[in-house]
Amino acid sequence: MSGRRGGNRIRGPQSALTDFLAANNISAAQIRDDYERRRREAEQDAGNAGEGPSNAATEQTEDEALAVAAQAEEAEKKSKKRKRTEEEAIDKIKKAKATKKGKGKGKKKGKKDDLDDDNDDDADYDDDFGMYKKAKPVPGQLEHCDICNKRFTVTPYSKEGPDGGLLCAPCGKELSKDLKKEQRAVTKAASTGKKRRKVESDRLDGIAVGGAKSLSQLCIQKVAQHHDDIEELGDLPQSVLERLSEIFSKKRVMKSKTLPLFLRPDLDSVVVHDAAYLEEEDYQQIFAIVPNVRKLVLSNTCQLKDGAIDYMLERCHDLRHIQLYAANLVQEGMWHRLFREAGAKLEVLKLKWLDAAFEDLVVRDMVKYCPNLERLKLKLCRRLGEDAVVSISDLPELKHLSLQISQDVSTPTLVNLIEKRGSGLQTLSLEKFIDADDSVLEAIHENCTQLSKLRLSENDTVTDAGYTALFTDWDNWPLTFADFNSTRDIDNNNSEGPEDAIGLASSGFRALMEHSGAALKHLNIASCRHIELSAFMDVFNGAQNYPLLEHINLSFCNRADTSVVAGIFKSCPALKQLVAFGCFDVQDVVVPRNVALIGVPRAQDAIEQFGIGIGVDEAISRMVEVAA
Amino acid sequence: MASETDYVTLISNDGFSFLVQRSSARISPVIKRMLDPNGAFMEAKDNTCTLQNINGIVLEKVCEYLYYNEKHKDASDVPDMDFPTELCLELLMASDYLNI
Repeated sequence: MSGRRGGNRIRGPQSALTDFLAANNISAAQIRDDYERRRREAEQDAGNAGEGPSNAATEQTEDEALAVAAQAEEAEKKSKKRKRTEEEAIDKIKKAKATKKGKGKGKKKGKKDDLDDDNDDDADYDDDFGMYKKAKPVPGQLEHCDICNKRFTVTPYSKEGPDGGLLCAPCGKELSKDLKKEQRAVTKAASTGKKRRKVESDRLDGIAVGGAKSLSQLCIQKVAQHHDDIEELGDLPQSVLERLSEIFSKKRVMKSKTLPLFLRPDLDSVVVHDAAYLEEEDYQQIFAIVPNVRKLVLSNTCQLKDGAIDYMLERCHDLRHIQLYAANLVQEGMWHRLFREAGAKLEVLKLKWLDAAFEDLVVRDMVKYCPNLERLKLKLCRRLGEDAVVSISDLPELKHLSLQISQDVSTPTLVNLIEKRGSGLQTLSLEKFIDADDSVLEAIHENCTQLSKLRLSENDTVTDAGYTALFTDWDNWPLTFADFNSTRDIDNNNSEGPEDAIGLASSGFRALMEHSGAALKHLNIASCRHIELSAFMDVFNGAQNYPLLEHINLSFCNRADTSVVAGIFKSCPALKQLVAFGCFDVQDVVVPRNVALIGVPRAQDAIEQFGIGIGVDEAISRMVEVAA
Repeated sequence: MASETDYVTLISNDGFSFLVQRSSARISPVIKRMLDPNGAFMEAKDNTCTLQNINGIVLEKVCEYLYYNEKHKDASDVPDMDFPTELCLELLMASDYLNI
């Protein structure tokens, strides 16, 4: 190209490209200008675009310029290619950095979308101007800082500045500090939302309705928070210890390390509500340290095996109360052995979630070897069926019985059970016996005179007439706990139910409250949707008084409305908790002091509404005002 | 029989005495019973309760709690009272004894 300088008029053949350009009216001057601009930039680069000075181009004639331009173009194409590969490399690095930043920020929860968008926008923006940016220098070279313009040596750790260039160490540190502050501010915005929910959840656990938490509660919370640092619990009384173990189980920190805190040789009960993390050695430790245990409560004991039971039978001879939930690794033979050896003294047995190893035969053995059993709870044991119920009817001392059996149990068997044991029963809970019918209630009416807790739930055969008959002229004293949830007709084609109502309905409900109103503490009539509004109004009309009623659950009784709730507040002076999910006619409730109203839906209100320090009368008058 | 004073004294087992309002002290059913003028307890006469199993530091926090409780009696969304972690277990025992 240098040979062309100086106005040499000898022209060789022109390239096909030049011809093409000329044919398409592409101006040489424009090409010249573009070329000069690009050359200037190439000079600013790492200096390997060593094309000659741009001055010469201005002196050449148009034709020469064209030729020069053509050659320059080719050279330029090469440099372009070089630059393109350089750009691509830069882009790749930038994209990688952008996604890394995005990912890192994405891990933290919060309103990240704005920031991510900004990042992406910046990246795109940068891409368009990529070719105007400086190329990233290799580590080891000297660079000028983007912010303070100081000279520094590039290292692999040099931070990238906002314009894409590199920063010196101090500026880099400042930048990352600012970034961190931003991130912290965003996470704070997210976590304040979580705190309110936690406050409400804590309140529901302690049923602390307004006012401050109790000091015991505050201390227990703090202990649970610092569970890692505690070495010994000292001389805490047993009730506090049990409360602490409940909280530890709830927070899922009951592990091999924290278990010894709850084991003392002088204790006579071991209560662990979440033993999922405990292993073979831990169980052996329990029985080794507390050989005099009388009450053993282990829930979620998935890892309890034969070896541990064997050791227990060896060491502990005073067991009265055994409660093992989910002890599925214990073999059948071991269950037999357990009842044979420890059965004589056993008074309370509660087993849930058992599977293949616990069958009707085991129940028969249990009945044979545990004559003193007073409390029995068998729920969700998959293999138990009719034979088990037949065996249970022969337990002489049975006072509290709670059954939930998934296999079919015929009604005569149930009736037989109640006839045999009914006179001694104080608690009877039959859940999910879907086909049990009126004859069961008749049997209860005839045979049970000492019941204080009755539950018959999830049944769709017993009729309202049956319930009415049960509670009318019943020799039993008033119940303290009545649970008839989910007793209703299930027929998708007929949601109102048949003419003769199925399940606890209006007349049954009236009869129940008539019979037990004076002593009732817990009432659960959830999903008894055939109870009419008139029945509610008759029962809860302010004139009646239910002095001991503390917990009411009328979820999904869709006939109940605001006046019913007002009536409840008036009639139940001792009310602590009213659960009313799915009662859509209940609106605008003003909750009096000490009452927790749970489940009344309005988009703006909290799902739990707590009494706000006003009396019942004032609350009702306010509700009347609102309704009027 | 001394008349019902506004303030009562709580004494710890290491000799510290704390003067608190009667209304706050009665938040603890145990103290309330001790100070009940109708009861026959000596404490009711001199309006003083000696708590033999609680030491001074813990009793100070207990008094703080009594005031905190009374102040927030009708409020909702109350912030938790703060106390040093080392006191935690002793405070738990004291709160269990005093039933607060």
